[in-house]
Amino acid sequence: MSDENTHSDQAHGANGADAALQALKALQAEIQETVLDTVGAVDAYRIRFLSRKQGQITELLKRIPEVANEHKKRFGQEINAAKALVESRIETAAAAFAETETAKGPAFDLTLPGRAVAQGSLHPITQALRLITRVFESYGFDVAEGPEIEDDWHNFTALNFPPDHPARDMQDTFFIEAPSHAHDGILLRTHTSPVQIRVMENKKPPIRVIVPGRVYRNEAISYKSYCLFHQVEGLYIDEGVTMADLKQIIHAFARTLFGEDVKMRFRPSFFPFTEPSAEVDIWWKDENLPDGGRWMEIMGCGMVDPNVLEGLGIDSEKYTGYAFGMGIERIAMLRYGIDDIRILYENDIRFLEQFS
Amino acid sequence: MIISTNWLSDYIKHGLTENDLADRLTMCGLEVESVDFIGSDLEGVVVGRVVSAERHPNADRLSVCQVDLGDGEPIQIVCGAPNVAAGQKVAVATIGTTLSLPTREDPSVKADLTMKQVKIRGEESNGMICAADELGLGEDHSGTLVLDSDAELGQAFGAYLSARGTVLKDAAIDISITPNRPDAISHLGIARDVAALTGASVNPPAVAVPAHGGLAAEQVSVTIEAPELCSRYVGVLVKGVTIKESPDWMKQRLLAIGLRPRNNVVDITNYVMYECGQPLHAFDFDQVAGHHIIVRQTSGETSFTTLDSKERALPSGTLMICDANREVAIAGIMGGENSEVSQSTSNVLIESAYFDPSTIRRTAKALGLQTDASYRFERGIDSEGQAWAAMRAAQLMVELAGGELVDGIVDNHPRPFVAKKVMVRAARVGQIVGVEIDPDEMVRLIEAIGFQVSTVTESPLKWEVTVPSFRPDVEREIDVIEEIARLYGFDNIPEPQHSSIPNFTPTSSNTRLLREKSRNVLSGNGYRETYTNSMLPAEVAEMFNSTSLPAGRFKGETVHTLNPITTEMSALRPSMLPGLLKVVGHNQNHGQTAVKLFEFGRVHTKKKTNVTLVGEYTEIESLIVAASGNWEGQGWYGSAREVDLFDLKGTVDLLLASIGMSSIRYADSKPNDIFDYGVDVYSGKRLLGTLGKVSKKIAQDYSIRLAAFVGELDWGTISELNSTNGTPRYVAVSRFPVVERDIAVVVEKSQAVGPMIEKITTAGSPLLSEALVFDVYEGKGIEDSQKSVAFGLRFAADRTLRDNEVDQAVSKVLKALEQEFGAQLR
Repeated sequence: MSDENTHSDQAHGANGADAALQALKALQAEIQETVLDTVGAVDAYRIRFLSRKQGQITELLKRIPEVANEHKKRFGQEINAAKALVESRIETAAAAFAETETAKGPAFDLTLPGRAVAQGSLHPITQALRLITRVFESYGFDVAEGPEIEDDWHNFTALNFPPDHPARDMQDTFFIEAPSHAHDGILLRTHTSPVQIRVMENKKPPIRVIVPGRVYRNEAISYKSYCLFHQVEGLYIDEGVTMADLKQIIHAFARTLFGEDVKMRFRPSFFPFTEPSAEVDIWWKDENLPDGGRWMEIMGCGMVDPNVLEGLGIDSEKYTGYAFGMGIERIAMLRYGIDDIRILYENDIRFLEQFS
Repeated sequence: MIISTNWLSDYIKHGLTENDLADRLTMCGLEVESVDFIGSDLEGVVVGRVVSAERHPNADRLSVCQVDLGDGEPIQIVCGAPNVAAGQKVAVATIGTTLSLPTREDPSVKADLTMKQVKIRGEESNGMICAADELGLGEDHSGTLVLDSDAELGQAFGAYLSARGTVLKDAAIDISITPNRPDAISHLGIARDVAALTGASVNPPAVAVPAHGGLAAEQVSVTIEAPELCSRYVGVLVKGVTIKESPDWMKQRLLAIGLRPRNNVVDITNYVMYECGQPLHAFDFDQVAGHHIIVRQTSGETSFTTLDSKERALPSGTLMICDANREVAIAGIMGGENSEVSQSTSNVLIESAYFDPSTIRRTAKALGLQTDASYRFERGIDSEGQAWAAMRAAQLMVELAGGELVDGIVDNHPRPFVAKKVMVRAARVGQIVGVEIDPDEMVRLIEAIGFQVSTVTESPLKWEVTVPSFRPDVEREIDVIEEIARLYGFDNIPEPQHSSIPNFTPTSSNTRLLREKSRNVLSGNGYRETYTNSMLPAEVAEMFNSTSLPAGRFKGETVHTLNPITTEMSALRPSMLPGLLKVVGHNQNHGQTAVKLFEFGRVHTKKKTNVTLVGEYTEIESLIVAASGNWEGQGWYGSAREVDLFDLKGTVDLLLASIGMSSIRYADSKPNDIFDYGVDVYSGKRLLGTLGKVSKKIAQDYSIRLAAFVGELDWGTISELNSTNGTPRYVAVSRFPVVERDIAVVVEKSQAVGPMIEKITTAGSPLLSEALVFDVYEGKGIEDSQKSVAFGLRFAADRTLRDNEVDQAVSKVLKALEQEFGAQLR
């Protein structure tokens, strides 16, 4: 007590400093010990100590002038240390909460299905055609197209089908105009071969081209034939082209479509516009058949008949060439295991979506 | 054509199994479609002798027989045949033998039965003594088939039968004959190819062929008035024939190749045709007036009754066979009822002629009547085979019908055959086929099929090849090369290890590249590609030949086919719309609630235009896109939304932008027969197509329940406009900030927004880079007759824009909107 009296002139300062220091001491314990287990607790803690208006540390900072000069430095240091502690505890707690939040995951159901996006698809005929085209393009073939309504000359005569010849019966034809003295008959092309003629009319050899397109046949509709289908025809005219070259390109094609070990055979046949002519069969494995499979025809081909070349002003002594043609539907049906051609033209979505 | 392997073996001993034969034929160009095995070889059935036949102790109708099979102890067999008796030679099916037996319920149905040791009413039985029907030899079931008494005990019954000329087994090989092989439409023709393949020789039946003259030539006269259509007419007379059934062996062979036996004379003409390829006709000689045959064309339309009792209208110019008074046959196609061979016929005139292939083909087409004869004539028969075939038939008629050959032959041959000669260079074969074949081998191969080869020069090796009369298809060097290649075997041609590709520039068309890209864009955006029929009922084609659709804009006529399969497919589509609507309807009726489809294809109209390639037809490529039902499906995130026109516009915008087309604009197309409402799409001034809502009536016709939106675009025009637009050109990207300003203006409700955007775009130029509509509002705060439209404007330049220049651009836009549309800033 005497002390208090003795230093009465400094009593205010000494007592004030004392009170502030004590207040700080008392706070330090709370700063250290307050439990920060909820976001609310952290918020309250921050407001209680650091709020600009009523924070207890803020208050103490305001009381620095009360503290005696010789204590000021230490008081200041302690207060700052206290403040730093508060801040650091808030930060640690917040980080911990954030971590727990992440670990808990967001507050919505992630197992709900995604927003549906409509799925589209390419028709299996397009897919098969693209596959075929890709093979031949990789072997340097160009692609050409031509009209579906054709004249008799391009569809038959220029391709060495003589008038009144039974070869014309090989392809049942839809006619649009009967021939007259003034002009040729008009018909729906029965094959894409007339485009060969159109290409050769406009270009001199070398010619290396494939021709995809829609063709028409006047046949009864059944599981294996439709009134129209799609063909890809190939033509290569150059010096020194032989049947051996034809076999090579067709074999390469068959390997790409039906596997490296595809078994293939060339069987003599007849097409008016090629000579010699062949049909190409591949061995189709089928455990249910007595022979373990059967030969399936995939295309026709041959060496371009000299009559066709000469008819277009191409010297058939100098140039030889091969041609081949296949039905895209047939290839698609083999590849995808489709057993009825009509389903390709029905376009049921349950069918189409299988080719997405 | 079907051949019988038994029949074939009359002419060639090839030593191949049926399946090997079929493979070899296929690989030489005679494609075998099927091999059917006929009959059984009766393995296990042997010749036995009935040693004793006692009545069965427990059954009156059965006998217990002891049968000697020539191998020691006789065996016991219980037999039910009434005629079985000791001493008979019989056919015995031994234990383990399987026979195909007529079933009791229906003797025409057969079932396999394997012989087992059994007890019949207490007596052991070790096999079966067979009746004829049980052996597949006819239908006789009346009793045991009793064999010749000199039959060898224990001999296989099959061998017993073949020694007596009866054949048990046969194979029918069905061959698909290509049009270039008229020589192969007969057994002898096939035998020639088999000879070349195997080295065996062909042995045709020996037939004596006289020259023109003799008694026959006095009794029959033949006049050919159309020698250019009938280069040869041969007649042979056989008198005193008895019309009856053919012998079993002939009936068996005809049945094997799918022909119905009729009577001996008619069967013989068919038999010889299938033997050598020459069609024959047998006239009842007593019905041939004046015993005079005239070959001539009809001079006007004629009616004629063929032997199938059908009256046929013959066009003028039809080649006919006539007698002194009337027509008796349609040359090369079918005989007449008035002169056909009947039960009472006793004198037969055999016709064997060569008719012009094109003439026969035209007549057969005109009459819609293809016969075995016309099939051969129109392909071209052997020019030299007529006399042989006629004499062969006469020989068989003498043998099988008890006739007497009238000496001699009528052989009217106005245009004798001249063999073709073709020069063939040995080296050329390698140039075509790609493999060096030994020249001696080449000669062997073609000589085996009847060609004659003589060397013209040794170096370079060149041959003169004489073409046989039965190969009308062979005329040029390449034809001979084909024969060599096919007999050599395509499978023997080696593949080269390398190939060269010509030095040229591929020029794939832009049309195709753009199409393929668009397919990817559309399928990548939820559309499914379809392929629909190009052929439609005429009235549907007519309805969609509309000026609202790309092809219809040419104002051409609908294209019809002259010979449709059905009326459902008699016209070509002028639009892909009906095809797609059918698909939409089909899918909606099969439970699909969201249908988004597209298709590329050709559409047609009859009118000559600047894109016409053929005749007076315009064929353009069209792209159709269609959507019906839900655009967005219902999910936990929201409810479903049905498709509307703006969805389709968005698709078309995306599509056209993705192939590099800019400045696309739309204009309201007036309501029409196809669409309730819709818009025309333009690029600049060029019309690209139309999008719209399919009219209620049409939707109903196609059972479409949900609103359907369709766009059909003229892909030809789109490709043409993009012809140079393949490679994008880089434009420097601005490094300066973009300035955005929003404006809202009030206009009359009826004011279309499309033209306002176009106006803004021009008025805001060059700083304005983009203008989009972000709100259209009617209602509170806006007068009833008006609406508010809000635009977001983006300004950019290759420098930092100052506020005041953007302000100026905005006020230019506002002023333009006010002047043009009376728009007021809101």
